[in-house]
Amino acid sequence: MILLRRTISLLLLAVALLSGCVANVHVDEQFPSVVAAPRDMGAALVMDREFQNLQVEPTENTNIQLGTAQVELLTKAFQGLFSRVAVVDSRAKVPPGTDLVITPSVLQVQLSTPSESYLNVYEVWIKYRLAIEAADGTAVDDWFLPAYGKTPDSTLLSRSRAVETATIVALRDAGAKLILDFYRIPAVNGWMREQGHLQEASQ
Amino acid sequence: MKYATGLTVLLGTLLAGCASTTTVDEFRPTTERISITANEKVAILGRRDANHHETDSDFIRCLSRRMTNSDFQVMPEREFVDALYPWFEPRTAPRHLRRLKRIMQDPVVQAKVQQENIRYLVWLEGEVESQGVQGAMHCGMGPAGAGCFGYTAWDKSATFEAIVWNLADLTEEARIQVDSEGTSYVIGVVAPIPLLTPVESEACEGMGDQLRSYFAQEAG
Repeated sequence: MILLRRTISLLLLAVALLSGCVANVHVDEQFPSVVAAPRDMGAALVMDREFQNLQVEPTENTNIQLGTAQVELLTKAFQGLFSRVAVVDSRAKVPPGTDLVITPSVLQVQLSTPSESYLNVYEVWIKYRLAIEAADGTAVDDWFLPAYGKTPDSTLLSRSRAVETATIVALRDAGAKLILDFYRIPAVNGWMREQGHLQEASQ
Repeated sequence: MKYATGLTVLLGTLLAGCASTTTVDEFRPTTERISITANEKVAILGRRDANHHETDSDFIRCLSRRMTNSDFQVMPEREFVDALYPWFEPRTAPRHLRRLKRIMQDPVVQAKVQQENIRYLVWLEGEVESQGVQGAMHCGMGPAGAGCFGYTAWDKSATFEAIVWNLADLTEEARIQVDSEGTSYVIGVVAPIPLLTPVESEACEGMGDQLRSYFAQEAG
């Protein structure tokens, strides 16, 4: 009986130690509002529960809780592009007056650590896919949005803090690229011309 | 007496060797001071545009601190970048005045800059490098104790450039380059004694003093 108890205690200790090796990173950041003039159009962002609570494992011992931060970042970024932005969790809840329906998804998250790259930085790559549709369901484009972020260096940073910092930089990069390039996507630009937003689209 | 004198001479020589040489080069189209009112801000930003190239954040913080006790306000890097998101991110920040002019054509960006009272932008770029390691030091541990013996020395250089942009008339006001170099030593006499050359702080001091001297407060 004593042997069994000791074995169980040892196993519990081993599990506790092993679980301690996994870096659970919760990305907690208030992103700034965007300095941009939105167009007089309505967009609906379809972000389902899975996307809103997304956790990714870029390596077997790193878990990044990306959901909350990416919802905030994308909402703020689209508010810089469209005057009306609705965030819904399903396509069926898209409100009337919507011009474009955008469904973002994460295709890939990669992490590089100093022990792998021999550089004194942590790096994060996030690849988003944006499925862009007109309100009537006509597909406009599937746009891929790659983003990159890194820490200035890894000195005095814990692994969790370093991964969080690099992820925040990558999310900010995604927002910046989105705001600068969204209306330059040829298919979006063409759709806007067709819909009579020609003058605005040519800016 | 002889030992004391010898030791003093040795220490003096070593400490003199740790001193750094700092050179400040400047380019300005005019000798007039740059005018700024008390409520206007100078933002200090580090260049970080290539994947693995990034201006040392310690140097940026040091220069901000050095400039803080001026007659004008210094806007910290993070505050500036957040206030103008997404126009000064690594991917989007303007490298040249032509691009800055395009960004400032946007009335929303212009209004934000005016609202925040940001008058000048100081771009910082540069790095600290170590090279030419000489000497050897050996550390060991035994039953009787542990210790290091020998000496090692290396050259350290800090090169930084600051470019001052005027956000009101979108021109370049000044360009300053600071080079600071010196030799650092670690002497192992049982315990390792580091004698480090503060090239980065010397460069920061030189650049900060020069930048502060450019600005003259005008009646707000």
